[in-house]
Amino acid sequence: MKRKQIAITLGIMCFLLAVALCVQIKTMSSANSTVSQTLADNELRDEVLKMKERYDNIYASLEDAQSELEKTRQEATQNDVTAEAKEQELKENNMLLGNADVRGEGVEVVLEDADTTNNNVNPSLQIIHYDDIQWVINELKNAGAEAIEVNGQRIVNTTAITCEGNIIKINGIKIGSPFCIKAIGSQSLLYGALERAGSWLDEIRNGGNVAEVTKMDDIIISKYSGIISYEYLKEDK
Amino acid sequence: MILIAIILGCVVGALIGINMPMISYTYSGYLAIAIIAALDSVFGGIASTLNKNFDLKIFVTGFFGNAILSILLTYLGQKLNVDIYLAAIVVFVGRMFNNLAIIRRYYIEKWSENRRKNDKKEENKTVGK
Repeated sequence: MKRKQIAITLGIMCFLLAVALCVQIKTMSSANSTVSQTLADNELRDEVLKMKERYDNIYASLEDAQSELEKTRQEATQNDVTAEAKEQELKENNMLLGNADVRGEGVEVVLEDADTTNNNVNPSLQIIHYDDIQWVINELKNAGAEAIEVNGQRIVNTTAITCEGNIIKINGIKIGSPFCIKAIGSQSLLYGALERAGSWLDEIRNGGNVAEVTKMDDIIISKYSGIISYEYLKEDK
Repeated sequence: MILIAIILGCVVGALIGINMPMISYTYSGYLAIAIIAALDSVFGGIASTLNKNFDLKIFVTGFFGNAILSILLTYLGQKLNVDIYLAAIVVFVGRMFNNLAIIRRYYIEKWSENRRKNDKKEENKTVGK
């Protein structure tokens, strides 16, 4: 009897131990930690991870609040025709401003740095620069693209595409090769604009970089993750 | 019996642990020290079972008490900017080695005793013939 009791207790303890161990291992491997030699580096890494976690938490609560707002708005406008029209207008405006997820037909452009180092070619030509992305976006806008996103960053009216040394920032967020540019608009117009002879994509391909355009029937473009605010704007009456 | 219980507990725990949600990075340091404390308790429990002085109350309170105390110490250390968890690790790992030594000695003694018995039996057989 006593032996049985001991066995059960030890089993339960081992169970708890194994659960904790697995959770810990999973957490640590997801933190993709490379153990650093110096304490200062470790502390900085800790700090960054904590900050990121806090940011993620706050962002999640923001999303919650927004969806709640949406729900409240819907409830408030349920039985009111004029309010419903206003609601519809608001939705459309949000879609155009980049404050809502949108979907539709369009094209997907993938730009990727050349992977082989060919000594005969200028190495500067073998990578995708920020202006390559700007060119592609301009071509897409010219061809009537209605919503554009680069690596998950929605292009809105406050978007800046900048070169920061060896990285590219869009909306202030670092992105890297491969660049996946999604655009919603007329498939044939967008495709034609990008693939016409002598287009910027040819220029990009000359350096050995990869540039692929695919027509897509259903593209989902996520909303802008920042907040569009104003301080100095006034309406001119 | 005890061995089966331990293995079963570990396997089931691992299976559930893999499917558990991750904890936040901030608290993983505390969980780590609690794991070390619990590991020490389990080894202590096995060693005391072999020595036949296993006490359920002492074992269970030790398991949770040590884990909670070490977490509290780690927290205190963080507030005071002293790495107290290092002291806890030294103590627990040191005890783990002690307990492991007890377990090892117990089995080696058992094994060598068995061999001695077998040798004697064979001797008797040959003498009998």
